[in-house]
Amino acid sequence: MFRTAALTAARVARPAVASAVRVAGVARPAGAFVAAVPKVAAFQAVRFYSAGGHLKKEEVFSRIAQVLSGFDKVNDPKNITETAHFANDLGLDSLDTVEVVMAIEEEFSIEIPDKDADQIHSVDKAVEYILSQPDAN
Amino acid sequence: MSALQAYRHLMRAARVAFDGDARTLTAAYESISRGFRENQNLPANDPTIAPAIAHAEEVASFLRSNVVQGRKEGESYKLRIHQDTERGDNDTIKLGNQSIKIGEEHKCCSA
Repeated sequence: MFRTAALTAARVARPAVASAVRVAGVARPAGAFVAAVPKVAAFQAVRFYSAGGHLKKEEVFSRIAQVLSGFDKVNDPKNITETAHFANDLGLDSLDTVEVVMAIEEEFSIEIPDKDADQIHSVDKAVEYILSQPDAN
Repeated sequence: MSALQAYRHLMRAARVAFDGDARTLTAAYESISRGFRENQNLPANDPTIAPAIAHAEEVASFLRSNVVQGRKEGESYKLRIHQDTERGDNDTIKLGNQSIKIGEEHKCCSA
């Protein structure tokens, strides 16, 4: 019950927060606070459940690239591109591909059903799939 | 049932069974991976493949429903029973080989 109440409160509060952020963004004179940019980036690194909106394609790619670069069987981190194929470009075998897809699942907090997971053989397919999932975050 | 699916099921089951226990989880991942890689060069028509995959699936369902984590709190252990854990009682044990989960139609006792 508390959880429901908290969620409702968060949902009610969300528009207010969003508009406050937007107002702050508009009010800031262009280029006046260059040093403030990293702060904004740090803020966005924390993802709130209440933070609506969709994932950006670039963000999805960079997070998948990060997952891949942490995977020691990738032949060369330089080969991780937006269209890289897991087997042909990154030198992963089919078992590795399963592991990568599972790591991607974990990164975006979703569970990919078997039939879809079997179709994901490249970075662009993975990005496309994540973007099509409203639950991914 | 393909080997890759069995591999995925097994990895998922390990993640459910050993959630939050990084050491055991890593060991499980390694062991699963080693087991599959030992057989990865078998020819496609090898007769040992089907039983090996069936074995993997059985291990996966065992990990999911019959392994429960416990943490010692004082004198007793606190168990983390999750939604896939098989739960039976003295009556259901007579029913034989059925998987018993909560939330299913089968209610025990005086219900």
